[in-house]
Amino acid sequence: MVLELRSIDKSFGEKEVLKGVSFVAEGGKAFGLLGRNGAGKTTSIRILMNVFSANGGEVLIDGKPIDYDKIGIGYLPEERGLYPKKLIIDQLVYFAELKGMSTKDAIRAVDYWLGRLGMSEYRNKKLDTLSKGNQQKIQLITALAHDPDIVILDEPFSGLDPVNAMLLKDVVKEQISKGKIVLFSSHQMSYIEEFCDSIAIINAGKVAISGDLREIKRTYPRDKIVVNTQAPEKIKADLRDTCTEREDGTLLIQLASPDQKQEMMKQLVENYDIDEIKVFEPSLNDIFVEYAGAQV
Amino acid sequence: MNQFGKILKFELKGYLRNKAFVGITIFLVVAIAIVMFIPNIISAFQSDEEGDLSPTDLPTMLVYAEDETLSAIVKEYFTNAFVDYNVKVAEGSIDKLKNDIIAGNAECAFVMNSASSYTYYVKNLSMYDSNTAMADTVLQEVYRINAMVQNGLTPEQAGEIMSVQIESDTQTLGKDQIQNFFYTYIMIFALYMVILLYGQMVATNVATEKSSRAMEVLVTSAKPTSMMFGKVLASCIAGFSQLVLIFGTAILLYNVNKEALSNPLIASIFDIPIELFIYLIVFFVLGFLIYAFMFGAIGSTASKLEDINTSVMPITFLFIIAFMVVMFSMSSGSVDNTAMLVCSYIPFTSPMAMFTRICMSTVAWYEIAISIAILIGSTVGIGVLSAKIYRVGVLLYGMPPKFSNIMKTVFKKQ
Repeated sequence: MVLELRSIDKSFGEKEVLKGVSFVAEGGKAFGLLGRNGAGKTTSIRILMNVFSANGGEVLIDGKPIDYDKIGIGYLPEERGLYPKKLIIDQLVYFAELKGMSTKDAIRAVDYWLGRLGMSEYRNKKLDTLSKGNQQKIQLITALAHDPDIVILDEPFSGLDPVNAMLLKDVVKEQISKGKIVLFSSHQMSYIEEFCDSIAIINAGKVAISGDLREIKRTYPRDKIVVNTQAPEKIKADLRDTCTEREDGTLLIQLASPDQKQEMMKQLVENYDIDEIKVFEPSLNDIFVEYAGAQV
Repeated sequence: MNQFGKILKFELKGYLRNKAFVGITIFLVVAIAIVMFIPNIISAFQSDEEGDLSPTDLPTMLVYAEDETLSAIVKEYFTNAFVDYNVKVAEGSIDKLKNDIIAGNAECAFVMNSASSYTYYVKNLSMYDSNTAMADTVLQEVYRINAMVQNGLTPEQAGEIMSVQIESDTQTLGKDQIQNFFYTYIMIFALYMVILLYGQMVATNVATEKSSRAMEVLVTSAKPTSMMFGKVLASCIAGFSQLVLIFGTAILLYNVNKEALSNPLIASIFDIPIELFIYLIVFFVLGFLIYAFMFGAIGSTASKLEDINTSVMPITFLFIIAFMVVMFSMSSGSVDNTAMLVCSYIPFTSPMAMFTRICMSTVAWYEIAISIAILIGSTVGIGVLSAKIYRVGVLLYGMPPKFSNIMKTVFKKQ
């Protein structure tokens, strides 16, 4: 299954929020939707979920306009919150029923997920008696209980301790392996880098860059070398301007052209005490800052 | 449709689980039950006390005149007229009489200056003191009888002339305003209370979902029309069952206690004709719905619960004005004045205005039909519009947006 947003336009009053946003997300893979605050991520997600109608453009599934009666969508919003004063089982079953499940199926699915996330003991408690992280796990169930085809997770890891983050990672990997389209929106680049095969960076209502993350990284010229060494001072003194020290203590050496890569590596290994040497690849963080930081 | 049913069920369950809601209902039912038994309770106490009452327990009323025959005549007539008093001729001077009143030996005194002039002495003049009015009537009668006797009639003839009874019978061809006044009043008041109370509940309910961000998930799971209609109908059902419980208890206990509650005023409240009862339900439900939709839409535009009170102000004002017009017209007795005629076709005021006119005046069937048709049309229209406002409003956070801006967004979409 392939989800495609094709040149979506959206404005609220005079304000143009989205200007021709397009991206493609495939089933069985995770997709990262990135952008600074107010770039238009949430609006794109809401149009995808038919909360707003777009002023222009289409949402397509396998090339055909999406049929919201057939395609199930699960959503974990960034702004968390359910009914604080209602019993957890009641509201989870209610949300699953709203998504079209029968009461019986809804109860079964909710109980499965409560067990899966280690929350069964809270089944008959009110939501506001739970800690923030546990409330978030409850909210995750509203996104997954009805077994949706598309799972949209907005900042899923914020507020989770490392153990719960591991649990969530397992759940997300399971969803991906089931062939679902998993759409991430997050500012925590490390998680996106870990999960997502492809990304789209939205900046000021436009897609600044989108596509396969590895391919995006390969488009950068391979003309920098990262060196981890016991003798940084010596190298710095010898190479002068072309060598800078990075925050983590490694050295970044700028080459005149990518062709010199082999030669430079050989020289370094022969002449200095080198622990590690590799060609520099930009991190997602670097790409994000480059594409989302500019033009604003 | 399925979704609507789920929402309705969930919202209704919410009302039934709400301790305040259940508590108030039980309290009101118990209160009504007590009120309906009050006549029984009072009469139970009274029957014990009545036997002990003797003339000496009655408060003393003194009569004083220079002329002893005058004081004797006045005493005789006053004894008959003031059955709640022990009437005595005062002895001694006026000063002693005043001291008696101040000391509490007597409650009041009539000092006759002449047969047609007196001074009334009382310690504290009660707001409800009608003794002078009664005395005026009695003394007038005495004066007239005396005058007639002096002009040659026998005292019997004079007495007969004075005590002639006029027989009358009123045939109401239209509506009896006196009889209908009380249940109309009660129904209008119930409508007023229920709409304001439940309207606020609907607005708060929507705003709570918004402020707790449950809306973020809801709005992606359910259609706004299902949400709005589900919520409003659930509140309507909850409100209506509450009323049925309270008034049902009242009617049931009225029939149980019918003999003790022989007061014609109370009887008039329960003698509501069946067709008026049907109109009552129609106007009640429609009036409830149209306001509940508006309250729901307003609730969706508020970001915080604290904003609700200011946001709903325009609707509350509109409703209070309608209520005032109806109440003033009712108490002035002219329910067919121009304001009422206009109000009985405006959907926001017609539930109260038209219902009052049907109860207390004669309204042609087509006028009622037009009014109800306008009301039904507007209720559906407002319902759909409120769902659209809801859809726009629920995802706007921050300051409550201007009404005109919302309308622009709503209509731009269509």
